[in-house]
Amino acid sequence: MSNSATQMLVAAALEFLRRHPPFDRMEAEALHYLAERLKLAYYEKDAPIASPEMGVLRNFYLLQRGKVLVRGAGEVGLIDYTTMTLSPGECFPIGAVTAQRPSTNVYTALEDVFCYELAVEDYFAVMRMSPVFNLFCTQYIATLANQSRQQLQQEFAQRAAEQQTMNSPLSSIITKEAICASPETSLREVIGIMAASHIGSIIVVDAERRPAGIFTQSDVLKRVVLPGVPLESPIASVMSPDPHTLPMASSAYDAVLAMAMHGIRHVLVIDEGGRLKGVVSERDLFALQRVGLRQIRQSIETAPDIRLLCQAASDVRRLALNMLAQGVGAEQLTQFISALNDTLTRRVIQLNLDRHDLYGIDWAWLSFGSEGRDEQTFSTDQDNGLIFVCTDIMDREQTQLRLLDFARDINADLDRVGFPLCPGKIMAGNPEWCLTVEEWEEKFLGWVRTPEPKALLNASIFFDFRPLYGQFHLAHRLRLSLLKATQENRLFLRMMAQNALSVTPPLGKIRDFVTDADPAFHGTIDLKKYGARLFVDAARVFALAAGVGATNTAQRLRLTGAAQKVSSDESAGLVESLNFIQLLRLRHQNFELEQGRAGNNRIDPDELNELDRRILKEAFRQARKLQQRLKLDFQV
Amino acid sequence: MKNWLARLRGSGAAPAPVALSAVRAQTLADWQAAPPLDTRRSHYRTRYVVVDVEASGLDMKRDRLIAIGAVAVVNGRIDPADSFEVILRQEEVSTSDNILIHGIGGSAQREGTEPPDALLGFLHYCGHAPLVAYHALFDQTMIERAVREHLGVRLDACWIDLAWVLPDLFRERIDAQVMLDDWLALFDIDNIQRHNAVSDALATAMLLQAAMARATARGAKTPASFVDIEKARRWMRRSG
Repeated sequence: MSNSATQMLVAAALEFLRRHPPFDRMEAEALHYLAERLKLAYYEKDAPIASPEMGVLRNFYLLQRGKVLVRGAGEVGLIDYTTMTLSPGECFPIGAVTAQRPSTNVYTALEDVFCYELAVEDYFAVMRMSPVFNLFCTQYIATLANQSRQQLQQEFAQRAAEQQTMNSPLSSIITKEAICASPETSLREVIGIMAASHIGSIIVVDAERRPAGIFTQSDVLKRVVLPGVPLESPIASVMSPDPHTLPMASSAYDAVLAMAMHGIRHVLVIDEGGRLKGVVSERDLFALQRVGLRQIRQSIETAPDIRLLCQAASDVRRLALNMLAQGVGAEQLTQFISALNDTLTRRVIQLNLDRHDLYGIDWAWLSFGSEGRDEQTFSTDQDNGLIFVCTDIMDREQTQLRLLDFARDINADLDRVGFPLCPGKIMAGNPEWCLTVEEWEEKFLGWVRTPEPKALLNASIFFDFRPLYGQFHLAHRLRLSLLKATQENRLFLRMMAQNALSVTPPLGKIRDFVTDADPAFHGTIDLKKYGARLFVDAARVFALAAGVGATNTAQRLRLTGAAQKVSSDESAGLVESLNFIQLLRLRHQNFELEQGRAGNNRIDPDELNELDRRILKEAFRQARKLQQRLKLDFQV
Repeated sequence: MKNWLARLRGSGAAPAPVALSAVRAQTLADWQAAPPLDTRRSHYRTRYVVVDVEASGLDMKRDRLIAIGAVAVVNGRIDPADSFEVILRQEEVSTSDNILIHGIGGSAQREGTEPPDALLGFLHYCGHAPLVAYHALFDQTMIERAVREHLGVRLDACWIDLAWVLPDLFRERIDAQVMLDDWLALFDIDNIQRHNAVSDALATAMLLQAAMARATARGAKTPASFVDIEKARRWMRRSG
């Protein structure tokens, strides 16, 4: 029966719901259905609301007023470790109600609490009626993270020149049919087609339309005219074979990354059968963008001196900002920054190679820390080293001296380009970190065998190494011997785990977050130390234990998760959480840099909007889950 | 005067009979036959009806009852479906100052429900549930007077006044007779539309929920114990 009084009470519930996600975006009909069925209950301070002893719950709860304390049940000895608080607008327990199993947590009123209750039957009815609510419940955290990304996109929309979102699939970007030729077609014919259709490149495909190669306008000069190749020769003889391809489902971002990494201008899009579906050119992707990716790469790769490289370095940041504005996820963005920074570093190395004679030395430039993990943010200082081969022990000193000269010049140039010198002197120009393969191996093994605090700290920086220039196989050799050593050494892994657990997520019992006690940073959270690091450190231990060679944290989480039979949803949740924290860091750093300050990692949770605050809380909860797994696995 | 006061208290002589149509008489009889209240059941197995009225003024002798809003608290829960509101048709519209308070305009007053039907609807909604209000004397008097006038019967309900019960249960917070808004502020309860009878009743119902939880924790587990608390408190105030 609908009377005016009921309407008034439903209106009151609606008014509340509309102020909180996901209800603010829920379909009107479903929202109304929900509001009509919410019953309001009160709980006095310390009164239990839901707990495992209650068995399968008959109600779903939506906190209307006050705070609710959540404690993991049954984990004796871990009491402080697993508490958190919920604020008005939050729902619980989503997992238990959806799965129709008893709650694993104890929910208690922390103060006067008013809570809406929704009968389980009605909960499922709303799930069926509302795709928004359904998605919210089933993909709890992923959805929230996306919402925030969309918000971020809106925030930056005015500043962003680019219209196309970097997440759109390539299938939606390719518009024109690609013009193709068979491998036997003569050069004369091919050049004729290109001239007639005013195109800069042509794709060579086999009988099944599978791409075999690509031939571009600039090839005409370099590969045909200058070498004097007769125009009757088949195109196959001068084309660039094995062109770079991507499946239809790849995103624009994937194409950008491929272009950045391989220095190419075109990416061929293929279907499941490997058949050509179209071509995406750099121009398609960055048509409207002021700073072109290619321009940056080109200016980096051709920069004749350090002065011009500095300009390119600032362009990298601007481009990254553009991508941030387009809603590119943190994982891709940090990888992207790393890729361009790699290019920058490589150019610095190249420029210095011209001035240093390293003939006869096998060496590789290594990066450590965040660069080694492909996780650079806007403000990153140097962490690098050199690895080299020394066949004759008598030559060692001499070889190292030559390399050190070279490395010091590079370190100084990198500093000028915008990568400040490492305050801890972790740089290739430091003799301590310019070592032969055997010396590196010995150092690493020493840290693994004797995991005293200093060794553990070093492990957390150096074990994330990645080769950047030179003989990459030297780095691979080092990786293999390291993984062999760590996999066999439980004690070391346990100590690493313990180290990773020394910092806990800043979730408060009463307040949402625990902020810094230091008066200089009052009310802030260091999202590097108390955010990203929680994931990075745990992922490293899992990777070293499982023999996973990847250094990137998201990859480590996915790969080790799969090896440990952790559900892919759970791994995805962890990666989303890490990405969200990284996104906040990037956003904050960008803001700080715009204000002319050195980018730090301190955010004030009170300044976040409600949605971001809630996702951040959820991200910290995920970090806690990850830490618990670490605890269990290594019996810390 | 004395006769009037006695009637106010609901303990005077039987009210003058009113001639009712057959349908109305039947509805009234049904209400009278509804299950009686058991004040010894626990709060959480009781249906409370929280009431708030709007009138043409604050004079309990002369002002007329304009609207009744009610929200039930059943087994400790507020269910929007179990709520009630009625506007009583007025021969004479209240003053514009008065309208500004409750927002029930002239035409709404003239187009309201015929008072006997409005009151029968209310009685049917309540059954014999204990009635709860804040500063209940006003609500009780206005409703009892209207029932007497229009239906010719005495409403002999169990009334509970939260203005007396709350300060006893939450002495650590407010140990005095205060306004409703003070309690709402204390419990951080929003009143979406102050002086709308239903909205006021909802806010008061939330206070009742808090009172039930606290009283239960103290061993005062039934409607009867609320009545006892109120009596003791009134007595204490009078003698202290």
